[in-house]
Amino acid sequence: MKKFLAVVKREYVQRVRAKMFIVTTILLPAAMMFFGVVPVLVVNIKTPAVRVAVVDQTGKLYDKLRQSLVNDEQQTDAGPQGRRGFTSFVLEEVNAQNQSTDLLRDNLNQRLRNRQIDGYIILPPDFLDHGEAEFFNNNPGDLFTLPALQSALSRAVRDQRLIEAKVDNKTREELFRPVDLQAVKIGETGGQERDAGSSFALVFGVGFVMYLSILMYGQVVLGAVIEEKETRIAEILFSSIRPFTLMMGKLVGVSLVALTQLAIWGLAFSAFAVYGINLLASRGVTSFSIPHIPFSHFVYFALFFLLGYFIYATIYALVGSMVTTAQEGGQLAMPIIVMLVVSFYLFLPVGRSPDSSFSFWVSMIPFSAPVAMVVRIVTQTPPFWQIALSLLIGFSSVLVIMWIASRVYRVGMLMYGKRASIPEAWRWARQA
Amino acid sequence: MAATETTVKLDRVSKSFGEFTAVRELSLDVRAGRVYGLLGPNGAGKTTTIRMIVNIMAPDSGTITLFGRKIDPALQDRIGYLPEERGLYRRMRVVDQLRFFAELKNVRGKQIESKIDEWLARVKLSEWKLKRSMELSKGMQQKIQFITSVIHDPDLLILDEPFSGLDPINTELLKEIVLDLKRAGKTVIFSTHQMEIAEKICDDICLLNRSQKVLDGSLREIKRSFGRNSVAVRCEGGDGVLDDPALVSKLVRHADEAQALLAPGANAQTILKRLIDSGAVIGKFEMVEPSLNDIFITKVTESA
Repeated sequence: MKKFLAVVKREYVQRVRAKMFIVTTILLPAAMMFFGVVPVLVVNIKTPAVRVAVVDQTGKLYDKLRQSLVNDEQQTDAGPQGRRGFTSFVLEEVNAQNQSTDLLRDNLNQRLRNRQIDGYIILPPDFLDHGEAEFFNNNPGDLFTLPALQSALSRAVRDQRLIEAKVDNKTREELFRPVDLQAVKIGETGGQERDAGSSFALVFGVGFVMYLSILMYGQVVLGAVIEEKETRIAEILFSSIRPFTLMMGKLVGVSLVALTQLAIWGLAFSAFAVYGINLLASRGVTSFSIPHIPFSHFVYFALFFLLGYFIYATIYALVGSMVTTAQEGGQLAMPIIVMLVVSFYLFLPVGRSPDSSFSFWVSMIPFSAPVAMVVRIVTQTPPFWQIALSLLIGFSSVLVIMWIASRVYRVGMLMYGKRASIPEAWRWARQA
Repeated sequence: MAATETTVKLDRVSKSFGEFTAVRELSLDVRAGRVYGLLGPNGAGKTTTIRMIVNIMAPDSGTITLFGRKIDPALQDRIGYLPEERGLYRRMRVVDQLRFFAELKNVRGKQIESKIDEWLARVKLSEWKLKRSMELSKGMQQKIQFITSVIHDPDLLILDEPFSGLDPINTELLKEIVLDLKRAGKTVIFSTHQMEIAEKICDDICLLNRSQKVLDGSLREIKRSFGRNSVAVRCEGGDGVLDDPALVSKLVRHADEAQALLAPGANAQTILKRLIDSGAVIGKFEMVEPSLNDIFITKVTESA
């Protein structure tokens, strides 16, 4: 046990001290911050309001158009991402009563050239019937102004047409009230829980973090197992420690490094998220509520996350025990990644029918259990014995794989420079 | 420990890898407090034998006893082992590596630090304590590797080709340390094919060739049994005499003298007389024991 701890300590301290670790640990939250905050800041830079002159020859639309644009602007300010860009407008009504259209246009063109206005719209008298008008401006590259005006104008016209059709205000509001569709989950007790898919998002999150950490740290485990072969230290170690203890020590040491990094990232992310939510809340947006998830689910998430991590990390260790260089290991590790991706996407069929026998079996197989079982827990929590059995099978598999890996490692190490085929590895595991 | 006590005992030990037999029916006794040389040409089975003694491999048949009992993990802590294939963690500082290897041998606490300082001073590498091993020269690394095998003060030290690649000064340093350990009552087994070194520090030897023991016992007795059947000669002229196969079965010429192994039935006196008769000027004429190298070559060619 003391020797085991010595190995764990060495793996942990050496890796956490490495520059690479420090750099990536700090860099990721920094990058997250950068990509999260900077675009918002950039988009939020207020461009000067677009000055538009409106020639309303119908005489009925100017006020409605202005109201419509003002509404848009308020919504834009409130939401994190504006729905129609971030254009604000300054409107000016041009009285057209006593002038011919041509004269009016000459005037306006002159003002456009002098940059007194950015554009003008002429709404012809029959606009309410035909709905055709023109927007004159000198910046055709502006992606936001035209759609914003068009949509505001449409609403103005719609309202006016409804008024002319004698639809009163109240009826009009009734007609346009949006519907509200909410997902409701029937809990085990028969009670109704409003869920809104947020726990599913959480499953996705757990799966994704698992996927990411396996991709990152699987290679590290592989490298750690090969390290003693490449540096030819293995034989010295074998005269002091059992290969199984050595391998377990390496696995645990590297895993602690991974958890340290994840914890730091997790804290950075939560801090960032809390800050973000507060920021939104301060702007009056409260639709982002923290989902209600039972505490037991968090425990399960943690257990299955660890299971998933360890299952795949041990397979990387097994690969490491068979090869002599990290490069060879990388090639041999390809199938692991395929397996990982497949098991990740199992969340779709399992999520659709969580208590089918297919879902049962994939949540028992160690390679797919971490994602499948978590999906089942969130959607339709299976009986406790199934969860316990899945964990038992999973963690026993970890030990069995490590045991095989340590035997392959020991024999392989003594036959220098030879990469093992799978049958050879199996023979080594039995004869060692 | 009494000198007659046996530290390592092999009883008819065999080990094969597939078709190839690496060690066949090997029996040997390594007595406590002595330096035991495991000698033989490359591929004779030295490394396999050592690996079985340190419990990295299990023998196919036969038994191995250490300190009077079968090997177990607790006994491993009493053994220091320097394999032929050896290295260091490249990016680790010297002091961290040594601490790690000491911890793997269950050495704890403050005594680790004092041991590290003591040994680094002894191999004259104290100022390298905080350097990473990749910054060390090959010879320095080898000395650090040697420390990893003795840092826990083992009762039995097993060194596989410890001197290969070392310069004469460091070879001498290591040799002194091995002899010091022996004086402190430790048992040392080492393998080598460098007979000159073995000759200087071994009390007992075992000569292996083609997986089998050719010869073993105390070096002194082995030499005695071969008799003083060589002459070291330094002379000018009289060349033809030493080339006569009736007198000399094997002649090895060094820079300024020659060593002649007497042919069966030949007599040193006859050679001397013939040299004088041929008018040679004799600078040196001495009966010598056969060198271990001679014994080695004789035995290996005999058994081939």
